[in-house]
Amino acid sequence: MYLALAVAGFRTEASFRAQFWFLLLSGVLNVVARVSIWQSVFLHGTGSADVSLPQMVTYAILGATVFSTWEASQLVREMGADIRSGNVVSHLMRPASYPVSLMARLLGGRAHETLLIGLPVAVVMGAVYGFQPPASVGHAVLFALSVALSLFLLFTLATAVATIGFWVMDTLALDWFLRGTLALFSGGLVPLWFYPDAVANAVHHLPFAWIAFYPLAIYLGQLDLTESLVTLLYGLGWAVASAGLLTLLWRAACRRMVVQGG
Amino acid sequence: MQTLSLYLYLVRLQLRTRLQYRGNLVIGWVAQAFGYASVYGTIWIIASRFERLGGWVWPEIALMLGFHVLGYALGALFTFVQLRGMEELVRLGTYDTLMVRPVSPWAFLAFSGINIEYGGHIALGVGMIAWALPQLGIDWSVLTVLQLVASLISAALLTGATLTIVAAMALVLTRSRYLFGIYFDFWELSRYPLTIFALPLQVTLLSIVPLGYMAYVPVAALLGKPVPLIGAAAPFAALLAGPVMVVIAMLVWQACQRRYQGAGG
Repeated sequence: MYLALAVAGFRTEASFRAQFWFLLLSGVLNVVARVSIWQSVFLHGTGSADVSLPQMVTYAILGATVFSTWEASQLVREMGADIRSGNVVSHLMRPASYPVSLMARLLGGRAHETLLIGLPVAVVMGAVYGFQPPASVGHAVLFALSVALSLFLLFTLATAVATIGFWVMDTLALDWFLRGTLALFSGGLVPLWFYPDAVANAVHHLPFAWIAFYPLAIYLGQLDLTESLVTLLYGLGWAVASAGLLTLLWRAACRRMVVQGG
Repeated sequence: MQTLSLYLYLVRLQLRTRLQYRGNLVIGWVAQAFGYASVYGTIWIIASRFERLGGWVWPEIALMLGFHVLGYALGALFTFVQLRGMEELVRLGTYDTLMVRPVSPWAFLAFSGINIEYGGHIALGVGMIAWALPQLGIDWSVLTVLQLVASLISAALLTGATLTIVAAMALVLTRSRYLFGIYFDFWELSRYPLTIFALPLQVTLLSIVPLGYMAYVPVAALLGKPVPLIGAAAPFAALLAGPVMVVIAMLVWQACQRRYQGAGG
């Protein structure tokens, strides 16, 4: 049933044809901004000994297309609207988990965005700016697994944050806190290897780093295969912890809920 | 005079409504400031790690970012949230009811929906400008102070005018929400020094989508840094961009309103 919801999410996104072209343009602008930054600092600035410009261009293209965190915001807003309006009750009466249903539907939307917008943008911009393949076949396999882990973490953490809306009622602030946290700690905009050491040492261990930084570091071969595997297992631990946190929060929210009227 | 007092009354009503939930309002300010500060934090990491970005050092970039967010907030508090919902107003027929009121529909929307959730933006913008200015060795005079204030007002007008043009499209196309998305894509580009972009994008940001005048051109003019394409005209362009866009926005709004046929029932 959750698969059917994901397919419905995919179809819903596909039905807005006009939106498609705007999203395509949006994706291109996003890549151009990121690549321009790295070209500027590598070609006209001090550059970096740890990583090359072609690697950073690849990082920027993948970061802007495959590792978008837009759905996390959408999830918090949708769930917030359901909580505020009381519609969440009608979802709870259905024989399916509301958070998982919401995640499945948004995952379908994300699949649509990745396949029909992210990939074409990545291919075209890769042809324009240059694009590096994965460091090895092993890295490619581990990268694919890390993308799945990234999605799981993004959606469970976003749902956990949205669930706090049952207590605070206004999820706009939660959305902004989540956005800020992801911008700063996921490494989607700037890789953690450019962070000051003291900050990087802490951020490397936070779950947000598995949402964009580690998958991209694995893709580029910045971690060898053994390190990549260990990193993935570490991330899996965070996935279990975030799923546990979400379960606890959701149960507490359901216990707290009071339905009035009919 | 009577119209002005009506607008002020609408603003007062909206302020009283929003101030009913002060705790939420303050948390919202903090959250939005945190969201922006996080992105600025990543730009700081790049600027400090690589020393310069597009030939600009961090205090110069910080001044530009502060100017950008402050100019945006001052323009958007009268326009963004109110006009973002234009397509719903058109689709549901609510816009028709605004047209029969004895005040301009735009003014009614702008003043009755004034959004004070930009407190975090304003505090962050003022804070960054106040931190950056003393470090930049600007040769202050009455003229430079006037230039700073007037170009900030111009940036606010530019924001309000651009958002108005985007919203006006809903009167003709029925949908305009995607255009807001495109606006914000260009808006995000406009918080970096224009010199990091290729020439076609520089031309775009200084002409068709003139968001280069939001912060880059005025701050470069204030700091005496070279501005591509417009050179010595930068200080004047920064001051004129906002008022010119306001005139264009008024013409576009009126043209779209003339073509408006309604979409709801």
